[in-house]
Amino acid sequence: MRVSLNWLADYIDLGTSDPEEIAQVLESLGHEVEETERLAPDFGRVVTARVLEVEAHPRADRIRVCRVTAGGEPQTVVCGAWNFEAGATVAWALPGATLSGGTEIGRRSIRGVESNGMICSETELGLGEDADGILVLDSEVPLGEDLAGFGSLTDTVLDLSITPNRPDVMSYVGVARELAAFYRVDYRVPEPVFAQVEARPRIGITIEDPTGCYRFVSREVSGCRVSASPFWMRTRLRASGQRPISNVVDITNYVLLELGQPIHAFDLEELGGEGIVVRRAHPGERLTTLDGVERDLTPADLVVADRHRASALAGTMGGGASEVTAKTTEVLIEAASWDPPTVLHMSKRHGLRTEASARFERGVDPALPPLAATRAAELVSTLAGGEALSEVTDVVAREDRLRPVTIDFELREAERILGPGFDAPRVTDLLSRLHLGTEGEDPVRVEVPTFRPDLTRPIDLVEELARLWGYNNFPERVPRGPGGGRSVSQRRTRTLRQALCGLGFSESVSLSFMRSSEIEIWGWEEEDERAREIRLKNPLREEESILRTTLLPGLLRVARYNYSHGLDELAVFELGRVFLDRPHRVLPKVPDQPERVGLLATGRLGGSGLGVERRPVDFYTVSAVWRAISHQLDLEGWRLEPVEAAGWHPARAARLLLDGEPVGIMGEVHPSVVRRAELIGRVIAMELDLDPLVADRRHWQFRAPSVFPPYTFDMAFEAPEDLAADDLLSATGEAAGDLLESARVFDEFRGEPLSRGRKSLAINYTLRAPDRTLSSEETAEALRSMADAARAAGAELRGEL
Amino acid sequence: MESLDALLKTAPTLVKGTSTLDELSEAEAELLGRRSLVAEFQRGIGRLPPEERPAVGKAIQEARRTLGKLIETQRRRLETETERLMLASDRVDVSLAALEYQEGYTHLITSTIEEVCDIFIGLGYRVVGGPEAESGLYNFDALNTPPTHPSRLESDTLYLDWGDPADDMLLRTHTSPMQARYMEEHDPPVYVVVPGKVYRADTPDATHSPVFHQIEGLAVDEGLTFSDLRGTLAYFAREFFGSERSIRMLPNFFPFTEPSAEMHASCFSCEGGGQCRVCGGVGWIELLGCGMVDPNVFEWVGYDPSKVSGFAFGMGVERIAQVRHGVSPLRHFFDNDLRVLSQFR
Ligand SMILES: [Zn+2]
Repeated sequence: MRVSLNWLADYIDLGTSDPEEIAQVLESLGHEVEETERLAPDFGRVVTARVLEVEAHPRADRIRVCRVTAGGEPQTVVCGAWNFEAGATVAWALPGATLSGGTEIGRRSIRGVESNGMICSETELGLGEDADGILVLDSEVPLGEDLAGFGSLTDTVLDLSITPNRPDVMSYVGVARELAAFYRVDYRVPEPVFAQVEARPRIGITIEDPTGCYRFVSREVSGCRVSASPFWMRTRLRASGQRPISNVVDITNYVLLELGQPIHAFDLEELGGEGIVVRRAHPGERLTTLDGVERDLTPADLVVADRHRASALAGTMGGGASEVTAKTTEVLIEAASWDPPTVLHMSKRHGLRTEASARFERGVDPALPPLAATRAAELVSTLAGGEALSEVTDVVAREDRLRPVTIDFELREAERILGPGFDAPRVTDLLSRLHLGTEGEDPVRVEVPTFRPDLTRPIDLVEELARLWGYNNFPERVPRGPGGGRSVSQRRTRTLRQALCGLGFSESVSLSFMRSSEIEIWGWEEEDERAREIRLKNPLREEESILRTTLLPGLLRVARYNYSHGLDELAVFELGRVFLDRPHRVLPKVPDQPERVGLLATGRLGGSGLGVERRPVDFYTVSAVWRAISHQLDLEGWRLEPVEAAGWHPARAARLLLDGEPVGIMGEVHPSVVRRAELIGRVIAMELDLDPLVADRRHWQFRAPSVFPPYTFDMAFEAPEDLAADDLLSATGEAAGDLLESARVFDEFRGEPLSRGRKSLAINYTLRAPDRTLSSEETAEALRSMADAARAAGAELRGEL
Repeated sequence: MESLDALLKTAPTLVKGTSTLDELSEAEAELLGRRSLVAEFQRGIGRLPPEERPAVGKAIQEARRTLGKLIETQRRRLETETERLMLASDRVDVSLAALEYQEGYTHLITSTIEEVCDIFIGLGYRVVGGPEAESGLYNFDALNTPPTHPSRLESDTLYLDWGDPADDMLLRTHTSPMQARYMEEHDPPVYVVVPGKVYRADTPDATHSPVFHQIEGLAVDEGLTFSDLRGTLAYFAREFFGSERSIRMLPNFFPFTEPSAEMHASCFSCEGGGQCRVCGGVGWIELLGCGMVDPNVFEWVGYDPSKVSGFAFGMGVERIAQVRHGVSPLRHFFDNDLRVLSQFR
């Protein structure tokens, strides 16, 4: 809501004219000032003047020669506009004047006739876009006045953002009322006084739908002359962000801004028949609204109709057929109270948000229509020259909406929420300044006027007390909670994140969506849980239409994004939820949305430098990352087993089992996926369920380092291809028993002299006892049983023991 | 004996004149070797009369010790020098970054969340999470949002095609549903912060994203007042933006708090006025929305609003990170451009 301080002064005498202070006060009351705009005309030496004579130009058809006076000696001015005649009051740019934009006006000859300056249009003065003709001022305007100073053109406009619970502030009177509460001064409401003729209204009103329409007030004015509205009104409307149209239409906007009550003016002659009916639209009914759009109506729409057809969308927009035009002489003024949800849904359904609907959907004071209709009738009859009928039609369908609400307010409610100090005198003072009626001490019986529909409960009054007292006048106090901090799994998640960062992976945060093209890239089978995605009902774009079922497409997107920006090596991870088409394991009615950790790397990984050969990533990189994570997270009891899964390299991917349960997959991404993602080389990835990784675990136990010497030796085994290194290590390790300190594969090879399908694994073992130096008998025994265990697992020791 | 004295006089020049360990070895052989004067004396000792032998023997021992010490000192000197020369040839360019460890960077959203949570953990809060795919019941109804409230419209909220249509499955529009979920499960006192992703029906642009992050705070206890809200937010502002910060609160409107407020912190980058990047010259930075928990919310979760009171606040993570570090436009939080990620710390 744009508030012109010049206009606001009609309703309140503020002790200050400092816009900054007024803005601060309004903000402290909860009305955010989005912008403070200072309006100042940028023209100079333009005065009010009267055109005395208009004559044809002797040598040109399209321009005329005028005799103009600003109170002194008449002078000749040549003018190309045709929207005025002799007697008009105009804006005269004297020789030496500057127009908006900096154009300088001199004395010059136009086709042989000397022109002393020019008669200005609104556009030339920077006041509006109306370039149809020159600016015609009201005839009562005194001559010779400097237009810049005289026309209230120097003004400050505060652009207020009014919260949806305060429709009562969406008007000049409403803003004045708020300021009056703060400054402890009175505010003024217009009291219309005008000539009226005794006559019965021609149009009767019937409310068929009391759910949608609480009240309907109409007044008729006949014999109007539709033309431009006076300059002062146009200036005020423009300052308030409204484009002037014609006097009758401008008046409806003026009253809307002044009182907050939307007004609609109908061309009474165009309302077929004698009655107006407020009803729901018929199925299939159509209405062309003022914006020229033909709209299909449904029975959810509320319309103002004549006997034959809908003439307006209630509280939203009028219809084109009954629009006030230049030919209109008979005007019906409507001021009604509409049901907020009905208007909200209508305006949303038709994509039509107007000044009227913005107010009605929040709730307009149902006590306002009579005053608003009368104020509009006053302005129409005085500015458009019509005769207002004295009789007002006022149909109230919902008497209940007109009764003020009373709230019994216990003082301890204030103290409980706001702290000490809110005793009876303070509470009564604050509430009555807010124009609420108060009676009694404790509880205080509070009468809420109908313009404050937001106040229904004691807590609403508590807010009002705090607001007027000043949010910034409360002391500061910091309460302490009982503690709790992060849970075990939150702490372990942080450990995981730090471990991944330490390993060179950067954290990415992706939107939680994936695209259907990304699903195709991975080639998941239909029954795959990753392909059974949850879709949005109302996505805005294809990119955000499907909830991700896995973190991998997002990670691949990150790789692709960076690759396209010239980075072919990267290592990223993400922690986040995926959304699966199955019920949540704990919470009723919501889908399962487990947290996952995913990572992906391309190119090479590790420290880099001069002469440092970095290892390209492959399966062994990702399994090494996993081992480092598992160590940081103190996870034991896991194993990797080969897996063939869609999207993964068939021979270079593994399923992770933790305590025998599958937790996720790691490995190399299938080369075809890499190709389709337009990346190159090997791409490694991992995606694991987070919960089992970060769940509370038994803690690791200390083992005192032995002071006795180790026995370190290598053993090489020949094994069939399908014997996993892990299995050989655990078989031999078990055979060594407590003596085993470490075992590590340091060589793997295939080929001569081994036959096909065989491989050699060389392992470095360290044996050590905690309490003694191992004897040669003991070590020989251990080696023998390790070799036996290897044989049992299918591996033969190469060479002698 | 005179020749021994003469030897001891000339020996230092000889030893100190050597410039390599080899030369020193030669000098050592000359002075103490088998053909040296000292060895000759040693061998001749048997030919001396017995009464002279002790004195001569002693003199020979003395000479050996002196010469040995001389040689040893020179050897140490030469060894040090040799090593010094060797090391000098191993010089590096100390300015050259010849090796770089691969660093991984924590995302700014995460580090901001962690920092804010740490601040509230210091005040005795617990960190909790909640579902992102949520029902209309918790996202709206529980939070005193009327059925006709515009935030429920499809133009504002992303709805899911899942489950019973009556449940209005949606992507939560704020972290506030966890207020209701947590209070349903726990008795007061409640002091929690809830970080997480939230969703809106917005097309990505400079200041909008369909996904962003919030941190919700909720405190419910006996006797909490507006002053506790004020003090807690001021404490947060000082911890997060600097100890010089003051705050101001302006009335606002949210369905689930009453009174409701918007909290601003004094700008850390300017004194107000001028062309400040951070506050636009206003001197205040809008940080978050907050308020006292509406009694209807307490009633919904089964708390007695006449016995407990509390406050809640919700801040945008990207917003406060953006304010502090100037990351703009918003898409830089989600593009995961390594050139951006590597700036995060
Ligand atoms: Zn600033």
